[in-house]
Amino acid sequence: MSAAILDPKLAPPFRDAVLPVLRNPMLRKNVAHATQVIQNKRAKLVAEKTDWQELRASASAIRTHVLENLGAYLEQFEERCTAAGGVVHWASDANEARAIILDLLRQENATEAIKIKTMTSAEIQLNPYLETAGITVHETDLAEIILQLGKEEPSHIVVPALHINRSQVREIFSRTMHLENLSDDPKALTAAARHYLREKFLRVPTAISGANFLIAETGAVAVVESEGNGRMCLTLPETMITVVGVEKVLPRFQDLEVMLQILARSATGERMNPYTSLWTGVTPGDGPQRFHVVLLDNERTSILARPKERQTLKCIRCAACMNHCPVYRQTGGHAYGSCYPGPIGAILTPQLMRMEYAQTLPFASSLCGACFEVCPVKIDIPAVLLDLRADAVNIERKEAKRAFDLMYLGLRVANTIFSRPWIFHTAQWFGRVGLRAFTGKDGWIKWLPSIGGRWTHNRDLRGLPSQSFHEWWAARAKETK
Amino acid sequence: MTAPVQSRERILSRIRTATASVSAPANQLADVYGRVARTYVRQGKLSNEKRLELMTERLREYDAGVVEATPAELAAVIAGQLESSGKRIFVAPAGLPKEWLAPGFDWKIDEQLTSAEIELTEGVVTASSCAIAESGTIVLHHGPAEGRRVISLLPDWHLCVLRASQVVETLPEYFDRFPKAPPLVTWISGPSATADIEMTRIKGVHGPRFLHVIVVRDDV
Repeated sequence: MSAAILDPKLAPPFRDAVLPVLRNPMLRKNVAHATQVIQNKRAKLVAEKTDWQELRASASAIRTHVLENLGAYLEQFEERCTAAGGVVHWASDANEARAIILDLLRQENATEAIKIKTMTSAEIQLNPYLETAGITVHETDLAEIILQLGKEEPSHIVVPALHINRSQVREIFSRTMHLENLSDDPKALTAAARHYLREKFLRVPTAISGANFLIAETGAVAVVESEGNGRMCLTLPETMITVVGVEKVLPRFQDLEVMLQILARSATGERMNPYTSLWTGVTPGDGPQRFHVVLLDNERTSILARPKERQTLKCIRCAACMNHCPVYRQTGGHAYGSCYPGPIGAILTPQLMRMEYAQTLPFASSLCGACFEVCPVKIDIPAVLLDLRADAVNIERKEAKRAFDLMYLGLRVANTIFSRPWIFHTAQWFGRVGLRAFTGKDGWIKWLPSIGGRWTHNRDLRGLPSQSFHEWWAARAKETK
Repeated sequence: MTAPVQSRERILSRIRTATASVSAPANQLADVYGRVARTYVRQGKLSNEKRLELMTERLREYDAGVVEATPAELAAVIAGQLESSGKRIFVAPAGLPKEWLAPGFDWKIDEQLTSAEIELTEGVVTASSCAIAESGTIVLHHGPAEGRRVISLLPDWHLCVLRASQVVETLPEYFDRFPKAPPLVTWISGPSATADIEMTRIKGVHGPRFLHVIVVRDDV
């Protein structure tokens, strides 16, 4: 697969993008298996947490408070991080962020960089940009190595290679690491990655990371991980560059007591992830002595400006929404055409694209609400989906510039009928008489002409009953008098 | 490329416009923050003994080894753990109590050792700052007896000495103990692990593959 596949500007509409996936039984099996495993683990650990709903409520309130006061907290973070020896950069968009990072790497005369998994860097398509500029980027998260070596794209924000099974990983590793007798035991595969990366950790002096949280109170940065590749990148190099969305800030150190309790449980179904690292600027004698933070806007401030959509930015990237989404679980991540798939991707991606691209994503949902139910920071994803659908339709209508729009006209007519009882009852009567000819003896309509055929082509329709609810109610009222 | 200074002003001004109707004035921000509801569990309910049992149970679930020792036995228990590890070369933080450095082993004291030198060691012994029983988490603040972050990362075998009085039950209790944030914190919950391949949990990717904990009963 080419690197361009996850560029929302080039991605096909969702309904077209799903077709190859739906015809790929292996991919669907891999995705269904992985999401089921995480669902089960999460359910067990959430159930044992008697204060889960209270934690959710606080997490939601903290994130909402941050967004409402984002300017103050960002300035505080900048001041404290700078005082601790960090250098804070601001990037309005992906271009600026990439240019700042490349510039920093050039100042270090870097030809290589080691990387902790960061979705933000995928969002700004950092790797291809740096490769073009002659800098070799080594991903160090196991899943990211699988993708990088296999020239694959991430399909999940926590477990990016969940669409690839062990025998596929074995094939990729044995081919690219030249290991002929590698078994497909996950233990052996993991050991191969450990060996492959050790030399790079010890040799490459420049690292790039994302961040899970910024702490305004102290200017600290937190990274949540499992494997220890993060700790390697945060400890061994001389220079660390962290790229992070402006929304990731928390007011105080203590707020981690909420976030760290909900994040791992929601993301991987663990009570706590193996490693969480927090560092504050530069510590003499311990870790990188040059530290840069690139604060990325990239349309986040546009999202912030819309009261209903603002909650999109509460996200802490746990991926519980996609693990529980009946659409994602069928399609996997690639169909979303963005590094952010699933329900959160369906609301985040089009907004990051100013609704100019990825407008079909808000429709990639049955609005079942599972995502909202499991979201640890209570993002009402269905409400935002609906709002964005309205945006998409309005934009489409405006762009079509049609004087006569059949869909629009139809909905106007429906509006008139449904809002006036006497028209509604008349329409019901006409409907009942009109449909009688098509209704079978069993009470089902199996075929309709013209536009109605679009429905009956795939499914049967219940014929209208001889008595409406209103009529039944009126008759009942008379009888009981 | 736009000058970064301009971007800073542009981003902050866009944020101010976007949040103008909802943001708190600077002098009220702390009050507004204080009104965030926090009704989740702060204090654990377990007895001292049960709390330590839970900590041990959680660590064992992560495949970490756990043994107990009285303060008087500690040096001997450390020596025993080192002996049974089968390893000879250990790195120690510069501030590790001298009596913990069991004789008969090759000790590298970390006074700014290079990464290459640390990579040649086989194990590490450190103290710790706190532990959270509910999640089996050990917290390092990287003080003199806990050492720089790198020494508890590169060696494959980590022996961590935890005092019973350092074990709290819940994560909020940890934050109550340390209201002032240390500049460096590492929360460790079991040995390094991944589930990236078919969600199968594999122990030991890049960090130490073996974690052993001695719980020192300074509470009895």
